[in-house]
Amino acid sequence: MRKEYERPVITKLQSGLMNKFGGSPAYSRKVKESIAGVSIDDLVSRHGSPLFVFSERAIRRRCHHVHSAYSTRYPNVTFAWSYKTNYLDAVCAIMHQEGALAEVVSSMEYDKARRLGVPGDQIIFNGPYKPMDALERAVSEGAQINIDHLDELQDLEVLATRLERKISVGLRLNLDAGIHPQWSRFGFNLESGQAADAAKRLVNGGKLTINALHCHIGTFILEPSAYARQVEKMVDFAYELQDSFGMSIERIDVGGGLPSCSRLKGTMFAPELSVPSVDQFAEELCDALSRRLRPGDCPELILESGRAMIDEAGWLITTVEASKRLPEGIRAYILDAGVNTLFTSFWYKFNVEIDREVNGVNETSVLYGPLCMNIDVLDDGIPLPPLSRGTRLIFSPVGAYNVTQWMQFIHYRPCVVLIGQNGEVDVIRDGEDLTDLTRRERLPERLALNAFSSSSHDTQGSEPVSSADE
Amino acid sequence: MKQHAKAILHSYPEILFLQGGATGVAILAVTLLNPNVGLAGVISVVAAYALARLINMDKEFLASGFYTYNPLLVGLSVGYLFRLAPLTVFFAIAAGMLAFVVTAFLAHVLRTYLVLPVLSLPFVVVSSLVYLASLRYSNLLVAAPGSTRLLASDWNLPVWLSGFFLSFGAILFAPSVLVGAIFSLIVFRASRILFMLAIVGYYAGACMRWLMLGSGTQAFADPYSFNFILIAMAVGGVFLVPSLGSYLVALVAVGTATIVLDAAVVFLSYCGLPVFTLPFNLISLGFIYVLGLAGSPLIARSMGRTPEETLENHLSNRLRYRGEARKLQLPFAGAWTVWQGVDGQWTHKGNWRYAFDFVITDDEGQTHRNSGVVLDDYYAFRKPVLSPVRGRVVQVVSDLPDTPIGSPDTGNNWGNVVLIQDTAGLYVELSHFAADSICVAEGDWLEPGAPLGLCGNSGYSPQPHIHIQVQDTDVIGAATLPSSFISYAEGSTHQANNVPQQGQTIETLRVDKELDRYTSLVLDDVLEYAVLRNGEEIDRIQLTVGMAPDGTFYMSSRRGKLYFGKHDHTFFIYRTTGDDRYLNMLFQALPRLPLGYRPGLCWDDFVPVGVATSGVQRPLIRFLSSFWPKLGRVRVTQRFLTRTEVESTIESKLPRVSMSARIRVDSRLGIASIRVNELELVKVDHEES
Repeated sequence: MRKEYERPVITKLQSGLMNKFGGSPAYSRKVKESIAGVSIDDLVSRHGSPLFVFSERAIRRRCHHVHSAYSTRYPNVTFAWSYKTNYLDAVCAIMHQEGALAEVVSSMEYDKARRLGVPGDQIIFNGPYKPMDALERAVSEGAQINIDHLDELQDLEVLATRLERKISVGLRLNLDAGIHPQWSRFGFNLESGQAADAAKRLVNGGKLTINALHCHIGTFILEPSAYARQVEKMVDFAYELQDSFGMSIERIDVGGGLPSCSRLKGTMFAPELSVPSVDQFAEELCDALSRRLRPGDCPELILESGRAMIDEAGWLITTVEASKRLPEGIRAYILDAGVNTLFTSFWYKFNVEIDREVNGVNETSVLYGPLCMNIDVLDDGIPLPPLSRGTRLIFSPVGAYNVTQWMQFIHYRPCVVLIGQNGEVDVIRDGEDLTDLTRRERLPERLALNAFSSSSHDTQGSEPVSSADE
Repeated sequence: MKQHAKAILHSYPEILFLQGGATGVAILAVTLLNPNVGLAGVISVVAAYALARLINMDKEFLASGFYTYNPLLVGLSVGYLFRLAPLTVFFAIAAGMLAFVVTAFLAHVLRTYLVLPVLSLPFVVVSSLVYLASLRYSNLLVAAPGSTRLLASDWNLPVWLSGFFLSFGAILFAPSVLVGAIFSLIVFRASRILFMLAIVGYYAGACMRWLMLGSGTQAFADPYSFNFILIAMAVGGVFLVPSLGSYLVALVAVGTATIVLDAAVVFLSYCGLPVFTLPFNLISLGFIYVLGLAGSPLIARSMGRTPEETLENHLSNRLRYRGEARKLQLPFAGAWTVWQGVDGQWTHKGNWRYAFDFVITDDEGQTHRNSGVVLDDYYAFRKPVLSPVRGRVVQVVSDLPDTPIGSPDTGNNWGNVVLIQDTAGLYVELSHFAADSICVAEGDWLEPGAPLGLCGNSGYSPQPHIHIQVQDTDVIGAATLPSSFISYAEGSTHQANNVPQQGQTIETLRVDKELDRYTSLVLDDVLEYAVLRNGEEIDRIQLTVGMAPDGTFYMSSRRGKLYFGKHDHTFFIYRTTGDDRYLNMLFQALPRLPLGYRPGLCWDDFVPVGVATSGVQRPLIRFLSSFWPKLGRVRVTQRFLTRTEVESTIESKLPRVSMSARIRVDSRLGIASIRVNELELVKVDHEES
């Protein structure tokens, strides 16, 4: 029998201390041959590479899990789907089917939610910039608007005057929940009295009334008790408003910020060790909330969790297109997806799995994307066995923020598929082609390259952009 | 004056188990065909009514004729025996007043101690007294057989037919074929069920006596057979819900009555007394009492004006209101699954059958993550337990440890316990709290939903769960009573009040403040609607909110009333009276509206068949449904489209009903619009117009 060829690798000889983490970095590797029961080969042969894959079952299971963690600890919990995390129609539709409101932060997101069929009163409108016409639409359709600053408060008063009715609004707060960094750029600061002043100003105006408080303490929070401190301060402030101005706060919106099982760059431990469970977050928050509320009071608790709901339900399949050895002696691979596609690679160190068993000793390798840009690095030190061209690497978790922050830059954005509960694979966003770019472009007639194309006898079949009557 | 006349007229139909002024006028007129009898009846009933007013009897109730139909019967019996003369008038007045007193007395005693109706027992008592006393009053003139030829004629009918009419007439002391025929027509017009029962009762009783007496003529021609008619009507249709079962009981009752009748005839003849309605009273009261004792489901809980109405209400109420009278809120937040329900396979048996155990399950139906060998793996473990009622904490046990999985504490079955007495006086016991997690103390006042502690695994508990039961003593672990839960969603189906079944995953549906506000109709609110057909206005109606003496609210139009109310976190339309097609349309389109909203929430309800039908179909279906209760089941399936929009389909196989409706709730008050097929009611807003 012929022995299979195995490429040579260069490994640094270690002497002295043993690897304190145990394990066998030279031989450990992760293999993933299928996603939600559908083989990687099948997916790529039908939909190409790179390919984003979402699992409906994984999304729903995660939703049920997170929802149950909170709703079994507090009787009035509503989730709002943070559109910016992932606003693909199919993903939003699943979230809404699971009972989530829509949490939008721009008129674009608002329009997208409405187009999907979400009624205005099922939308929460956040964000530091809400144009007047978007505000007007949101008010008339009954959306919950959380005011970010005094200028917006004035805009809403103008609207209230124009519409001749009182508008119920939410007030966005920022506060010290004992964690760093403290997000202070959104909403009104609580401790400095800014929020109380805003409420006073609002009451004096007589055009608005506050029915909700909103606060988002940050992102990828790893300290459950921060939510306890946050909700205590919010409830105290709600009662302050109730006692001073007779306002009844029906909604306490604690924002999002729950972490996913992603590994932030620079963290020492694996997320399984360093990220607290959803139950820990829920217990801290709900306990504090129930303790702080007056008897018989049970305002709606709103959670705008994004990342924690979707991140682990998304994978990116990429293909090794080339390999080279750098002058430093490091092995490098060039993949067909880079930071243009996987935007979150700027802060996450992904879990990378190989689609097949590969023999050989691991070698610390670098993963480059396909961009002609020096920054296009997906991983700058990952132990991998020698990979041959055409091997697929599967990145996860990639469900959050990538399919919204990805860039059309140098390459087309890839196809996105959803694996349904019964294993059916549906394309939920087609891979892009040239028309996606050129559809919006307008070439002034005087710049048309007719002369050039006729003289060069271009036979590629691409039509000149402007028509020249001949 | 009108009120007095009404009260007196209402006494007449009561004798035939009917109601209504017009029927009263008809029966009065018929009794006057023999003026001697008819006038004596009027005199007695007026005398009784006057006495009742003099002593300030409750006017509302007096107007129903309940206290005065016995004096009426007594008056008729006086007129039947004696010629009207000044002395007879005096005698009739005295007898009427005596009959009223005996009625009031017996009615109260029977109702209070035996939960029985008084029927015509006072009449039997007083008329017997009157007849006995009159044996000594030689100044009273015996009535001539004053009947005219018209009344006396038997129209050449065979005896088995003339006998039926004679008996029917004899109920009001007019043993005449003509009068009996008129009465049976009156009964037939009001209720086909009563009419059928009258016929069946008469022939069953008469045939039985024929066999016993050996003479068909004697059996059929005996006017005392009216006892069979009355028994069949009372037992088969009035006090029991009309059904094959009640008809069977009625037949049995009639059969036994023959013995009582003949025994009474023999015995009372020694005293020179007729038996009057004695067999009817004894047999009917006996049967009703025994059926009540046995808790028979045949007993009518709410009586309509006719057996048809009783049946219709019974059928739709049984379907519409499924839960128990002892109602709880779910004692937890979020979605939990019934691990063991009523009559469960493990421990909910015997005295403890009416209990519920709840756990939390995941998508795979597991109650735990990982391997489930430690308590922390269980989803239910250390989840808050909430108060299911408003009430006071009467007992707390909180120091028992959480037992490891698979080793329940066999010494302290109930584990850590909170026992609450609710505002209705019932005790609710919740068990198996986590060690030292209970955050309420004896004497604490609780609102529904208040945190009590955390779910645990103390006591006889194989895995962490919440056990809840209702009992009527404050002893921990006492015998359980049937109870049910209000306002919850099972999947996407709303339940206003129901008993959850094992394996169901259920979640409390909280009251939506907005929906609650939109449906808060207050006294004297006026809602005006334009009636549109295919978009063109064809009519207008105005609905005014009022309150009935029993405390229910209604919306009245000129033609009818629609009764509504809110309970179990649900807005209900209870019934309509009168025959306003628009109110009926409203009832059909929105028999109930949950006050909790959840996208896509759906629910089922039923409306009485009378609301969805008209013409000849209505009485026919009502009559037939006593034999086949599934008939005329008009199901309304509803679903929220948005928070303020509801879609309904109204369906029934027989009668053929298939309609769809769209309801929009007004975000200020009431219903903004209702569309059923091509008809639409649209609220007219006066502020804007």
